[in-house]
Amino acid sequence: MTFDLVLCGVGGQGVLSTAYVIDHAAVDAGLHFKQPEIHGMSQRGGAVSAQVRLGSAPIASDLISTGEAKAVLSVEPMESLRYLSLLSSDGWVFTDVTPLKNMAGYPDTAKLYDVLFSLPHVVAVNATKLAAKAGASKAQNMVVLGAAASHLPFPVELLEKHLRALFQVKGEHVVTANLKAFRMGLAASAFGAALIARGVSAPIAARVVARLDFDATPVAEDVLNAWVERLLRSDAEALSKRVLAAGDSLPLEAQLPAKLA
Amino acid sequence: MTQEILLGDEAVARGAIDAGLSAAYAYPGTPSTEIFETIHSLTKQHHLPIRGFWSTNEKVALEEAIGVSYCGKRAMVSMKHVGLNVAADPFMNVAVAGAWGGLVLAVADDPSMHSSQNEQDSRSFADFAQVLCVEPADQQEAYELAREAFEVSERLRVPVVLRLVTRLAHSRALVTLGERRTQNELRYVEDDGLYTLIPSNARRAYAGLIDKQPALQKFSEEHRLNALTIRGEGKPGIIVSGIAWTYLREALGPKLDDFNVLRVSVYPLPVGKVRELLDHSSELMIVEEGYPFIERFVSALGLFREKPVKGKLTGHVPRIGELNPDLLRKTFGLPVKTSLAVAGLEDVLMARPPRLCDACPHGDSYNLINEVRRELDSSMRVMGDIGCYALGYSKPYQAINSCLCMGSSIGMAIGAAHAGISPSLCVIGDGTFTHTGMNALLDAVIENTNIKVFILDNSIVAMTGGQPTTMSDAHLEELVAGLGVKKAHVRTITPVPQKHAENLAIVREELAYQGLSVIIARRACVRYVKEIKEHKRERDAAHAHEGDCANCSGNC
Repeated sequence: MTFDLVLCGVGGQGVLSTAYVIDHAAVDAGLHFKQPEIHGMSQRGGAVSAQVRLGSAPIASDLISTGEAKAVLSVEPMESLRYLSLLSSDGWVFTDVTPLKNMAGYPDTAKLYDVLFSLPHVVAVNATKLAAKAGASKAQNMVVLGAAASHLPFPVELLEKHLRALFQVKGEHVVTANLKAFRMGLAASAFGAALIARGVSAPIAARVVARLDFDATPVAEDVLNAWVERLLRSDAEALSKRVLAAGDSLPLEAQLPAKLA
Repeated sequence: MTQEILLGDEAVARGAIDAGLSAAYAYPGTPSTEIFETIHSLTKQHHLPIRGFWSTNEKVALEEAIGVSYCGKRAMVSMKHVGLNVAADPFMNVAVAGAWGGLVLAVADDPSMHSSQNEQDSRSFADFAQVLCVEPADQQEAYELAREAFEVSERLRVPVVLRLVTRLAHSRALVTLGERRTQNELRYVEDDGLYTLIPSNARRAYAGLIDKQPALQKFSEEHRLNALTIRGEGKPGIIVSGIAWTYLREALGPKLDDFNVLRVSVYPLPVGKVRELLDHSSELMIVEEGYPFIERFVSALGLFREKPVKGKLTGHVPRIGELNPDLLRKTFGLPVKTSLAVAGLEDVLMARPPRLCDACPHGDSYNLINEVRRELDSSMRVMGDIGCYALGYSKPYQAINSCLCMGSSIGMAIGAAHAGISPSLCVIGDGTFTHTGMNALLDAVIENTNIKVFILDNSIVAMTGGQPTTMSDAHLEELVAGLGVKKAHVRTITPVPQKHAENLAIVREELAYQGLSVIIARRACVRYVKEIKEHKRERDAAHAHEGDCANCSGNC
C-alpha cells in the first residue's frame, strides 16, 4: 500500500502543523513515511507545500511523482489547484473555500469555483469560518484535515491523538478549539458523502457543503433528510450555485432547505 | 533503540551530538538553518555541555570550530552552500593544516534555488580542498554519516564536508538513533608547527595532505555506502549519488535489476569501483544531484573513450534544477503517470510569489526610497542585499536594482559611485551588515565616499526564521560611528507611515550631503516579536554574567 498526499496553502497557514499530525499518526499506525516540506523565502506569504508519502513498505523517494497523489489538502482554494499534476485521476481535493487574496491578479472567485467544483472528488469547506466558530481562527488547517480524515489510511482517533499532542504546549483551550475544528471538518465530509450516497450529484453536494455551518458533531438525520429531499429536485444545481455564490453560511436547520427557492 | 521523526537537518544535528560534539557554530541560511537550531535547542533543553552560537558569519563560524578542533574536541559548523564561499579561506587552509579533534562542515546545497542565488555544488569545494566529502541519500544516512564523519575526520586528521541538498535537509522521516559517545578531553595539537602555516610549515603540512590522499581514497573505496552491485556481464551501468539514489529506486523500481549499479556516498570518488563497474558494463549513465561532478571525473579519466558515458553533460539528465523520479523516468525511457486533467486551470491558477508581510518596516523604508527616487529623476540606483528586503525588488516596491551576495551592497554602491552613479544608495539588513557589510563600510569611511547606506534594522534575522542578530539597537549606531562614519551623518529613523514626512526630510538632508551617510531605519520585525524579546533577554543575561563560565553554554 502507498498513499501520497500533497498539503498546501499560503505561508503562515499552518501547512506544517497538518504534516506533523499526519506524520505522527502514520508512525503510530506502523506505516513508513517520508515528508518533504518548503522552508525559507516562500514562507513569506507565498505558495507553500509539503508532501506526505505513506506506505506499508519503506519509501524510496521523498518526492511524489506525477499522477500518484491520492489527495490534496489545501488551506486555500486557488492553492488547492496548484499541485493537480501530482494528483491521480481519481484523487481527492480537500480545501478551505475561502480565498486568501494577498497577491495581485487573484482570479475571479466565480471562475475559480467553476474549476474547483468541476473536480470529480472535492470536499470544500468554509474552514476559515468554522475555525473561528471553533474558537481558534488559525485552525482552518485542522478543519481541512478533519474533512480529509476518513480518507487517510489510519484511524481518525490517531489523528486526534496527535493533534492533541501538537497543541498541548499551547494550553487546553487551544487543544479543545483545534479538536472542535477538526471534528467540524469530519462532520462536513461525512455529510457530503451521505448526500452523494443518497443520490445527490457530487458537484451539487460539494457546493452546499462549502456553505454549511457545521458543528463538531455529526449532522442530525432530519437535517440530512431535508437536504437530500431538496437537492434531488430538478433545480438543485442552480440552487447549489446560488448558495455557493451568496457566500453566506447556512445554519444546520431541518426547516431551511425546503424554504430555499 | 530510539526512533524519532527527524528532518534531514535534524538528523545531522543528532548525529553530531551523538558523536560527542563539544561545540557547534553556524550562520543561518536555508536549507541549513535547522542543523544548528536543533543542536542549540537540545543543548538548552537537556543542559548538554555543548558550546557555540550563531556566529557573525560563516568564516568566523568555521574559525571558531577550527579552534575547538585544535584543542582536540569535536566541532561542527553548518551553513548553506554559498556560506562556504564566505568560509573558503579558513576551509582551504584547515584542509592543509588538518583537523585534530573531529571537524565537520555540514553544508546544504540548494539545487533549483528554492531560497538561494545559485546552485553551486559543495562536492566541488571538498574536492578543491582535497578532503573527504560524505553525501547521505536519506535521513537515516544523514544521522549515521554525521556520526561517522567525526570519527574519520579525527582518524585521518582531515576536515570532512557533509553535503546535504534541500530535499533531504527539509524532509522528515523516522530515524533510528544510537548511543551517545562521550566528548573528547582537551588536548591541544601535538605538532603545532603543522597548524602554524607560515610557508616553511605550510610546505610540510601540504605534503602531509597529499600523503593522506591514499588513505582518503582507501576509505572511500571500502565504504559500505559506496556499494557496487554487478548484476550481469555487459548490462548497462549506473553511477548514482546522494539523494538521487532514492529517486532512481522510485523511478526504476524492479527494473533496477537490469543494471549494474555503483552507489556513491563518499568522496574522493571510488575510482577503483568505477573502473570495475565499467569493465562489467556496456555503458554508463551517471545520475547525480547538482553539478555533473562525477560525470566530469569519469570523463576526465578517459573512460568515456571506451564506452558511452551519459549524464548531464550529454543531455540525458537535466543540467539545471533538482532531480525527481519523473525526470529519471524520462532519462530511462519509462512512462510517467497521467494526472487529473482539469479544464480551465490556467485561467484561475496564478503565481503567488513571496512578499513582505503586512506592516513590515522594510515596506515603509522602500516607500521613502521610492519617493526620493521620483523627486530626483536621476541616475540613482539602489544596491540591495540578501534578506527579506530583497523582496523589495518585486512589485509593489521595485525599489532595488541589484542583489548579489551577503554584504555586497555597500561595496557595490561604492563601485557605482566611482563609476558615476549619483546618488548611489544601498540597503542592507542589520544581520547582513555585521555578516560581511562592515568591512566595505570601512572603505567608504576612508574615502568619505558619497554613498547613502540604509541599514534596515529589524532586530532579527527574519528570512531564515528569526535567529538573533549580532548587533542591534543603539549598539548599531555605536558600531557605525566606531567604524568612523561622522556622527552627524549617522541618522536613525523609525520607518512607520505616520513619520513618513519627517523621515523624508532626513533622507533629503543626507542626499544633499556630498559624503558618506548611514541611515539606520529601525523598527522591529512584525513577525518575530516574541523571538526578538527572547534573544534580547538572552543577550542581556550573557552580558550580565561575568566570571568563570567555561561549561555553561551561556544559559546559566
